[in-house]
Amino acid sequence: MLDLDISLKQRFEQVANEMRLRLKQRPSLDTLRNMISDKGIGTFAKCHRLGKKDLLRIVERGKIVGVDGSTNSSKGHFPYVITLQQAMAKPCSNDESAITITDALSPITMGNFSSEEEYREFVKRNLAGLEVKAAVAAIDEYSPKVILLDGSLVRYKIEAPPLWQKLKSLALAKNIILVGVVEGISTNLISQCLKDDLAEAIHHASDWEILFGLLDVGERLEIAQGLFKEGFRTFFMRSSIDPKPIGIDLLEEQQIYLNEVANLVYTLTPKDGRGIPLWLDIIDKSVRISDKVMEGLLSTYLGEDYVEFIRPKREKREF
Amino acid sequence: MQVVGLTTPHEVYVASKERKFRINELVVIEDPYQGNLIGEVVESNSYNRFIPLSIGSGLHDADVIESLKHLGYSISEDEINIAKVKLLTEANFPIVTGCPVRLPAFDEVRGYLLKGKREDALLLGEIKNTEETAATMEDDLKGLCDMYSRGKLYKTQNVPFFLDLRSFQQYPHIGVFGGSGSGKSFGLRVIMEEIMKHRFPAIMLDPHYEMEFSESQENISETQDFSQYFKKFQIGEHIGVEFKHLSRKDLLALLSAVSPLTDAMSSAVEELHLHGDTYLSFSDRLELLSEALEKGRGKIEQALKQDLEPMEKDKYKKMKELLEKYQNIPLPSVQGITWRLRRLHNSGLFSHDIKPVKEAMMQGKLVVVQGPIWLLQVFSTYLLSNIYRQRREYKDGELQGQTAQEYFPPFIIATDEAHNFAPKGRDAATKGIITEIAQEGRKYGVFLVLATQRPTLLDETVTAQLNTKIIFRTVRASDIATISEETDIKVEEARRLPYLPSGDAFVSSPLFGRTVAIRVRYPYTRSPHTQNPLDEIQIHRVKSEDKLLEAIKPHLPIYAANFARAVEEINKTSGQQYEVRTLKDALETLVEKGKLKKQSSPLGDIYLESGI
Repeated sequence: MLDLDISLKQRFEQVANEMRLRLKQRPSLDTLRNMISDKGIGTFAKCHRLGKKDLLRIVERGKIVGVDGSTNSSKGHFPYVITLQQAMAKPCSNDESAITITDALSPITMGNFSSEEEYREFVKRNLAGLEVKAAVAAIDEYSPKVILLDGSLVRYKIEAPPLWQKLKSLALAKNIILVGVVEGISTNLISQCLKDDLAEAIHHASDWEILFGLLDVGERLEIAQGLFKEGFRTFFMRSSIDPKPIGIDLLEEQQIYLNEVANLVYTLTPKDGRGIPLWLDIIDKSVRISDKVMEGLLSTYLGEDYVEFIRPKREKREF
Repeated sequence: MQVVGLTTPHEVYVASKERKFRINELVVIEDPYQGNLIGEVVESNSYNRFIPLSIGSGLHDADVIESLKHLGYSISEDEINIAKVKLLTEANFPIVTGCPVRLPAFDEVRGYLLKGKREDALLLGEIKNTEETAATMEDDLKGLCDMYSRGKLYKTQNVPFFLDLRSFQQYPHIGVFGGSGSGKSFGLRVIMEEIMKHRFPAIMLDPHYEMEFSESQENISETQDFSQYFKKFQIGEHIGVEFKHLSRKDLLALLSAVSPLTDAMSSAVEELHLHGDTYLSFSDRLELLSEALEKGRGKIEQALKQDLEPMEKDKYKKMKELLEKYQNIPLPSVQGITWRLRRLHNSGLFSHDIKPVKEAMMQGKLVVVQGPIWLLQVFSTYLLSNIYRQRREYKDGELQGQTAQEYFPPFIIATDEAHNFAPKGRDAATKGIITEIAQEGRKYGVFLVLATQRPTLLDETVTAQLNTKIIFRTVRASDIATISEETDIKVEEARRLPYLPSGDAFVSSPLFGRTVAIRVRYPYTRSPHTQNPLDEIQIHRVKSEDKLLEAIKPHLPIYAANFARAVEEINKTSGQQYEVRTLKDALETLVEKGKLKKQSSPLGDIYLESGI
């Protein structure tokens, strides 16, 4: 056992206790359930696994496409940074290849960033744009019925507005269901609505905090219309044995498909896994730009000498 | 397909998404700096990055995988195939990672797959996993033989495997190793068929009475009639040893093959056997000496003093002479030699000679010598020494410019259970001659084909001389160790030995410079006892029942009153020895089989024809 500094140990224990206390402030699960229903925050519903027939019926109407993106930046001092981005749309089929859209960025070539944060923000938006582009291309290429996007739909609306508009109108025109699958829920819709009934410590608790362990496997909470961002519907779902729920976004115009989408996502999610549809995990693995690839590209195209130039000192730590 | 990962000048990894690799496949690596390099797949793996080998991973949810399949995506198709490839000849530098790899066209690898001319070669079977390459082969090499696998007979799709007969001059001896059921006997049969095709004289020692080449296999596309190409002899029945021509050494070997000789016996034989002895003169001498030793000098001298018939007198005189001449030989030795000699005589060994063997060999035939293993050892010692000597004398004479020697052709000696003929660590009559041929037979064009299921029990000097080794499935660890030691077989291949399907083999030959994985072709002919013992019993039973039915039919119906008479008549016509009780049992069996009908009546059972 490592010899820890006594004061550090004490301080740590204190913080840990406070953290535990916060969860204890949460009302019992049954109470929470009732509160959510009574306040009209949403309705609980059960999802069902689709059988072969149901799945074939979906396939008849069109393919299922997953979209995901990946970013990797070289380690270095701003502005000596190169960022590689890749978005992929992949139909659920062995015969068709995926659509990949890539981009490489650097503050050096773009020149108008005053700070690193500004650049990071741009990178984020750019990736959202690439993903939407991939989704648009997928509509032309595969004529899908459902597009599963990795992340909230609201994010695309905020980060890549014009492209998002294009995707949305295309999807509505062609009746293609857009589904945002949110792994890390960051909203706090429930605590906002229950503010008066909750202890102060958890007034701003995230939705995942409130719902942790509350939903049964295969159960979802459909957030009432109007409570979520304008133009969207959302629901939380425990799609696997993992007690932490995932979030699913839909276009408001397509809310009639909510039940169908919930069942589909539930069907495609391994019950022992972390709760994300397997298809998105498969795409995630295909699209990811690993550090190795990044290093390889750098040393090939930048040259070892320049790699040395941009390498920060902290990278050279021996221990 | 492309080279991936860390490379060396002699080994690389190749990955492919579309194609699974098969062990022993040849591939061409297109190195941009070193040109095209040929490699062989020694290990094949498949990996699916979405189905990792870890416990607790959610990806094994079969329902989800099934659902994805219905949606049109099969996760199992998203796999990566990786092969470990060994270069056939080492490169100068490590291979460039990422360079493309493809399957070779036949001409690119011809030198590695085919050796020598097709007309001069033994067609043993096919080289495994060469279909794609075989497709680019010239037409007259395609589909040369029938293959048999998983109950199906088909024309080969692979590159044929030839063993060049001409190369025997360089690499004269073949070992065939494999456990029972490994396809070794089939392999040996194929080799012998091919040797017959070339009309190369050969001798096959056949302790199992299975080397018969006149019955064709069923359903094969092309039959071959070998009945004129081989001749079968049974020791004592057709061939034997001419006693008069036996050297003292041969005689000692023969006697000791019956049962080992003591030193006293050996020296007794050396004293007693005279040049030009026939079986009769030698055995008479032994018996007379034995009688003389039993009687003793005193009795014999006494008898000689009495008035005897001239013939009797003669006998006693001879006994006295023998006794004087061989006074040091003890009686038990003489008796020991006598019974050994008698046993040889009773086997018929001395009633024939080996002329028919030599004649058949001169005609380029395969001579199959059959006999129980002890006799086969005895006889083959004599036979092999004799013909090997004849061949050697001819060849030596030729070298010395003497053409007067009678011609005797080069030949091949083949045997199964070779570890009985040249065992390790103990003596056997044949061991001397086999070792001699193994060591210097090449010079005289005398070649060995030795098959055994226990290479570990085979004499090491002999094993070391077997240049070409054909290795079938082997399970025993000690045998695998011997094989690994004696051949250039790779570790990966040695590990596969216990799992080889019947009929698959590795050929390790200096001619190829590497181990070639082959599948032996389906023989044209079949062994006489391939009938399953169970079938044999069933067939025999049905036959004897039918025979009985025929015999009793005229006497039906049979009932208590005429039973005794029926038995008598049936015995007369069928030649069987039924009693009332046994016939009744037999009739009951027929009733059970539905071939007869039984009716009860106040007078007892009545047996009727089943049709009535």
